[in-house]
Amino acid sequence: MEKAIQTTAEAAPERRGCGPEGRTLLAALRHDRELLEQTGHYHGISDLRLKAENYLHYESLHARLRSAVVNARETSKKISASPGVREVGESVVALYTPEGDSVVLSTGIMVHVHTLSRFIQWMIERDYESDPGIAHGDVFANNDPFVSDVHPPDLMNVTPIFHGRELIGWVGAVAHELEIGGVYGGANQTTTAERFGQGMIVSAEKVAANDVIRRDFFVRAEMNLRTPVYFVLDEKAMVSACIDVREKVLEAVEQYGLDYYKRAIREIIEEGRRAHLQRMKMLTVPGRYRSVAHAGHLFEGKVGASPLSRNCIVQVPLEMTIDRGGFMTIDYEGAGRKMWNPYNCPPAAMDGGFFVTLTQFIDFDGKVNDGCWFATRMICPPGSWCNPGDDMTATSSAWGSLMPGFGSLQRMISRSFLARGFREEVFLGQVNTPIIEGGGINQYGQRFGGQNLECSSEGSGARGIMDGIDCGYVGWNPESDMGNVEIWEMILPILYLGRRIWRDSPGAGKYRAGATYSTLLMIHKTPLYNIVSTIHSDKVFDNQGMCGGYPGPTAKFEYVSRDTDLAERIARREPLPHVEGDPRRPDISTRVGGDFRVVDGVFLERPLRSGDLFQFFYNTGGGYGDPIERDPEAVRRDLDNGIQSIEIAESVYRVAARFDAAAKRHAVDEQATRKLRAECREERGRRAVPTRQWMARQRERLLRHDLGREVKEMYNDVFGFSERWSREYREFWSLPDDFVFTV
Amino acid sequence: MARKPLVLGIDAGGTMTDTFVVDENGDFTVGKAATTPHDESVGFLESAADAMSYWDGDGRSLYPELEVALYSGTTMVNTLITRRGRKVGLITTKGFEDDVLMGRGMQSWTGYSYSDRIHAVTHVHPSALVDRRHVHGVTERVDVFGEAVIPLYEHEVEAAAEELLADGVEAIVVHFLYSYLNPEHEQRARAILAAAIARSRRGGDVPVYLGSDLRPVIRENSRLNAALIEAYAVAPVRTQLEKVERAVQSRGYRYPLQTVLAYGGLCNIRYPRLHETLISGPVGGVMGAKHLSALTGIDNIIVTDLGGTSFDIGTITAGYVPVEPEPVLARFKLNLPTIAMENIGAGAGSYVKVDPVTKKVQIGPESAGSTPGPVSFGKGGTTVTITDCDLVLGYLNPDYFLGGKQKLDKELALRALKEQVTEQIGVDVYAGAEAIVRMMEREARDAIRAVASARGLDTTQYTLFGYGGAGPLHLAGYTEGLDFGGVLTFHFAAAFSAFGCTTADYQHRYARSVHLGLPPGCDAPAKLAVAEAVSRVWSEMEEAARAEMANEIAVAREIRFTQLAMVRYGGQLSDLEAVSPAPRLRTAADVDRLIAAWEDLYSKINSRVARYEGAGYQIFELGLLASVEKVKPRIVRQPLGPAEPARAAHKGTRNMYWKGRWQPASLWEMEMLRPGNRIAGPAIVEHPATTLVVPDGKCVEVDEWNFFWLR
Repeated sequence: MEKAIQTTAEAAPERRGCGPEGRTLLAALRHDRELLEQTGHYHGISDLRLKAENYLHYESLHARLRSAVVNARETSKKISASPGVREVGESVVALYTPEGDSVVLSTGIMVHVHTLSRFIQWMIERDYESDPGIAHGDVFANNDPFVSDVHPPDLMNVTPIFHGRELIGWVGAVAHELEIGGVYGGANQTTTAERFGQGMIVSAEKVAANDVIRRDFFVRAEMNLRTPVYFVLDEKAMVSACIDVREKVLEAVEQYGLDYYKRAIREIIEEGRRAHLQRMKMLTVPGRYRSVAHAGHLFEGKVGASPLSRNCIVQVPLEMTIDRGGFMTIDYEGAGRKMWNPYNCPPAAMDGGFFVTLTQFIDFDGKVNDGCWFATRMICPPGSWCNPGDDMTATSSAWGSLMPGFGSLQRMISRSFLARGFREEVFLGQVNTPIIEGGGINQYGQRFGGQNLECSSEGSGARGIMDGIDCGYVGWNPESDMGNVEIWEMILPILYLGRRIWRDSPGAGKYRAGATYSTLLMIHKTPLYNIVSTIHSDKVFDNQGMCGGYPGPTAKFEYVSRDTDLAERIARREPLPHVEGDPRRPDISTRVGGDFRVVDGVFLERPLRSGDLFQFFYNTGGGYGDPIERDPEAVRRDLDNGIQSIEIAESVYRVAARFDAAAKRHAVDEQATRKLRAECREERGRRAVPTRQWMARQRERLLRHDLGREVKEMYNDVFGFSERWSREYREFWSLPDDFVFTV
Repeated sequence: MARKPLVLGIDAGGTMTDTFVVDENGDFTVGKAATTPHDESVGFLESAADAMSYWDGDGRSLYPELEVALYSGTTMVNTLITRRGRKVGLITTKGFEDDVLMGRGMQSWTGYSYSDRIHAVTHVHPSALVDRRHVHGVTERVDVFGEAVIPLYEHEVEAAAEELLADGVEAIVVHFLYSYLNPEHEQRARAILAAAIARSRRGGDVPVYLGSDLRPVIRENSRLNAALIEAYAVAPVRTQLEKVERAVQSRGYRYPLQTVLAYGGLCNIRYPRLHETLISGPVGGVMGAKHLSALTGIDNIIVTDLGGTSFDIGTITAGYVPVEPEPVLARFKLNLPTIAMENIGAGAGSYVKVDPVTKKVQIGPESAGSTPGPVSFGKGGTTVTITDCDLVLGYLNPDYFLGGKQKLDKELALRALKEQVTEQIGVDVYAGAEAIVRMMEREARDAIRAVASARGLDTTQYTLFGYGGAGPLHLAGYTEGLDFGGVLTFHFAAAFSAFGCTTADYQHRYARSVHLGLPPGCDAPAKLAVAEAVSRVWSEMEEAARAEMANEIAVAREIRFTQLAMVRYGGQLSDLEAVSPAPRLRTAADVDRLIAAWEDLYSKINSRVARYEGAGYQIFELGLLASVEKVKPRIVRQPLGPAEPARAAHKGTRNMYWKGRWQPASLWEMEMLRPGNRIAGPAIVEHPATTLVVPDGKCVEVDEWNFFWLR
């Protein structure tokens, strides 16, 4: 995949434009990329002249620009109606060069810093400068994934910054909408198999002039959304943030001088590029790293599923190469074909996933901007799920593939940190993020749609020196949060019976993953609530542990109970379900009478209504190090806090513990623990076989075609698609050159 | 001359404890001593004695005469940070027992620097204030309409009470979802607990706190934090406050000790919601500024407080102090209205460090505190601080720091600065020291800008007040390039927060959740209904305020009320607090006027595209400020004298390094300057507790209030 520039317009027009030096923006963009190509430096800047001449002056401009975007985001949050933006911080604001490269960015959903960049460049390449024209006070909006977006709920706005007649930059802002129309209420539209069921799509439109948002734009929103107030106020909030930053930038230009500003913003990016390379050299070991993750999806036979979507496993292979200069290339060769489901990723989504990983792992300090982008390269095979090249593809649940994909990258970068001795930087961060969404009639008697975005704060994978973050991390936004129940119940017809740590959820390890939680909802004051879930990974691991740590939970499911006798039980003051309890006999099946079911994978069932129960489980990642090396005291503490069960303490951590009823604490039997652990080591020794022997056995299994249907289909799909990957696979397993699986 | 001190204000900061004493003529003196976290009364008495020493007196002559002694300290924050509070039990809605561990995800990063907020591997939850095994869930649920969907299972409360009491908890919090809308379950639980506590023969020694009592507003996590902090950290604070009170009363002070609320205002140390005093210190400065605002007629003010550990900023617009409804304190998110202060971790004691890879200079957020202090204190501090740079650059007098009580070692500072910083980045030591100081000042300046911009202020309409021990020294630096109506500092700058505390009135703040709506195009009867509802709540709150204040304040004075409404557009999740133009809403037009006042404020903060009249308006919270006046320091206006200062005020010259060159600065004694005096830079004006630097091209003028304008 080409990430820099996709030449779709004619040769750059030679008329006078609004870009730098009187060039058109297209000519300026091409010129800029040529400079990068020729000199290896961003904008051809080989010396950081302004920084060298007066470090403080230069730094002060950077600080001023950054505080402008950070503060604009904070202020705009308070305009929003959406708990997505207001409660859990689903927005970002950033400043760009005239060519659309980011200079400074706020915190928040940083995944979108580069999608905005691509959006600006998309308009430049299509000569928006001539038609529809670009003027001071214009705002361009987009949520079209194939213009540049992850998926339609991410609504982006950009406004140009003009100094006189010259366009000197852009400001962009993105907010994640809780409802964007579509087949059912919500945002991620897991039932859709093509672009068309994803909801209201705005494709790079001019929606405001003279700082006034067009009324017809809001009319469209009001006619096409179930709960338009989120969209309207988020749009106002984002545009307000853009205008705010634009004015701050113009004040800074006034003070620092135009020429200074124009040079400085490019030095800031070049400095970001250099710092990235320098950090890579310091923190990582050059070489080739490989990983694979998978995501599984179950659609078949579900009442709400698209007839086009099949059960499938998505293969997410990844190769990362770091050269001696610190330049990183990542390659998704071996990814399967684009799919008839919403788990495809448009190019912007891949950009976003890459950017948010780099900023969290390498480029969090100093000049955080597109500089790192120019010191990296990403290859996504055309026609694959990660570069479909087909605007009709559905991408509304792109995160379901992005997170395993970039979780792999986090893991590989972590390996590289470890190889260099920076164990404290090791972080097996992100995993898939199941989301509850849907629509129907709310508790106020109105039609509604929306997501419950409490998922933005799951467990993280483990760290190299400590456990992962409990209930406090999500890959797409390092400022993770789940918000207050009192706010979610305000916008959705639900009554929480519990939101508690999901026992035994963390991937085990010497340092375990962060604990995650489950939510048990009573559907409340509604005759109709069509709950749908999305962004699962079913039946396969979407993450892994490291250095002997186990992966996080794999089987994603929901519990549902309809036509319950809850009211009678309440009247009799009987205990109600709040947590999962024993997974073999969950509380929701024993403490309440009703039509109980376990649903594997996405929830695409009949709608629910008042009194029904729905239980949902969030995700968490893998552990670090061998679980039998975990400090027994840490296991004991987890037992006390309900994070672990005695059963798992014994079977996985090999810690002999019991509950001391008198002390009301768990106690560890140290001697018994030592014995259990010694036995475990012996048992492992007995089970171990030479690798060649194990491989020979596995090869026989392959030759017998003894794999699950979905697994074989996944491989066959790639065999017919990626020659390089197929060759390596067949060579590795010594299979015939034309080997395919019989399904 | 015998003086009669009337008011004593003490502010115990992270590094120093500042004292401000006012006598019957409105004259005042300031004192300073190191903060003593183990027993704050020690620092209190030392600081007060220091102040009195300038009046040739001592602590003993002070206390019997005093009418008001008030104290704001750091005990509560310290108790929280060091987790040395009480053993607390929690009874909460069943299914939410893990909230104390899960927190809100945001608490794992909030308060972090920009870099660390992104660098997720650094994120860690604050440890819980309550042991998970002391959390008991009881079955009950109230919904978003305030309706009890699941009744309280009273037998579960009884069982939880028995168990908690058997476990020996020292306080119990009851916290249920939506209790702010319907507190019946919490109240019933309290009754059950009271019976259990009585039965347990522990008498009344296990206090019970209800979320709905302490903070009856939406967002359960913030409400829980407030209740837990009250239960966990307030007892040690009361102990400290009582210790201080005993210390002053044993020396002859005749009244109860007062302390300062986060939203301004004083309360008796027996106030029932003492967690509201959590960040009282910086708030003192804003109150002081507000007082001076009323006195001088300067009603748009940006206050800046540069102390040892932090730089705090607040604002006053048209005499009004804005309040932050959801601050984060000690890493806990609260919905405690707090005078909106922003701060950055940069002060005179901030450590200066150089990143070994990027060579980036980092200032703070860690600081040296009073022990070991900067390198130049020679008390074992090894890391360079801003104070060390100030000394090297000639701004500070090594023999007159704290009036000479703390000698400063210039050689020590110089050596450390070279080794740790300037040789690392390859610059001259003086140029490097100045660059660092300017960098810190720039960070402070950016923070001021950020506040001005976030609150929509036009700085040319504002006067900047600069204070704190290190404020006057860096004032010229951190205001450079900012366009203010004026820049002002004070000879009592070092104790300005303590001064501020002495100017405060008794003030309590009340809030109540409501559900009122003004749909688009709603008619007069609908507005009238809203008017009646609003007025009714305000009346009820005023009644409650009268009752509560009568219990606290011995002298009955008139209570002044300010009515507040938190308004939002229909559907918004944040509101903005507007002061009602009228004490009661009686007509539809009154409602329109209230909305207009709110929309005016909203439009100042946000750009005009953010307006959304089409969505109608909602009011989810009403508020009330109730205040009673008390004795205050008198600041006397004096006739302006000659521009030329008295000869005795001139102390000589000293070289200072400014903008890359050494220049001789004239040296002055601040206490000896008089109204009308004018000193041109380069000059250094010294005070035992602070130093004012006047660079070349600037001058300082003393006005009729004896305040110092930097022009």
